[in-house]
Amino acid sequence: MNAGPYSDEKVQKFIEEEYVPLKSECFWKERTELMKQFDIAWTPTFLIQDFGGRVHRKLVGYIPVDDFLAQLKFGKGIVFFEKERHEEAAKRFRQVIEEHPNAGVAPEATFFLGVAEYKKTHEASALRRAYDTLTEKYPQSEWARRAQPYSAIPK
Amino acid sequence: MAEIKWERDFETAIAKAKKEGKPVFHDFWFDG
Repeated sequence: MNAGPYSDEKVQKFIEEEYVPLKSECFWKERTELMKQFDIAWTPTFLIQDFGGRVHRKLVGYIPVDDFLAQLKFGKGIVFFEKERHEEAAKRFRQVIEEHPNAGVAPEATFFLGVAEYKKTHEASALRRAYDTLTEKYPQSEWARRAQPYSAIPK
Repeated sequence: MAEIKWERDFETAIAKAKKEGKPVFHDFWFDG
């Protein structure tokens, strides 16, 4: 059982306060209906779902504590983002960047912070800022490459 | 240390999420 990150108090507090926590046991000999419904092919798999049951994030495999906390915060952000709640999304992405700058999801949070700010303000400079930050802080990341088109936007 | 109070039923979790305005964190685990 993947008790690892759950033994961390910050993880416990965040999940308790910000999510409805749900556990579903997997059986490989006879896959459960939920495994079939959500195409669960390996464990642990974590889904972040909205209250309609739609999946906004799927994470597969063990995740160390700092990355796990960052993913929990990013997950809330991406749910808000995909529901066009850009201010709340930006707040969560900012939290990831400031509190977990070395987490794997930090470059993605930087990218989506730029997009969320752009969608909120319609100021293209937000996209340019995302590109500049990504090339400065995470130059090797895929997200820096994905932000490359924004390099043409004036500062 | 506060423990996480996990729901075990999908429909109950979704109903609770709707009521509380929160997303669901869904852990698929295997006791292998």
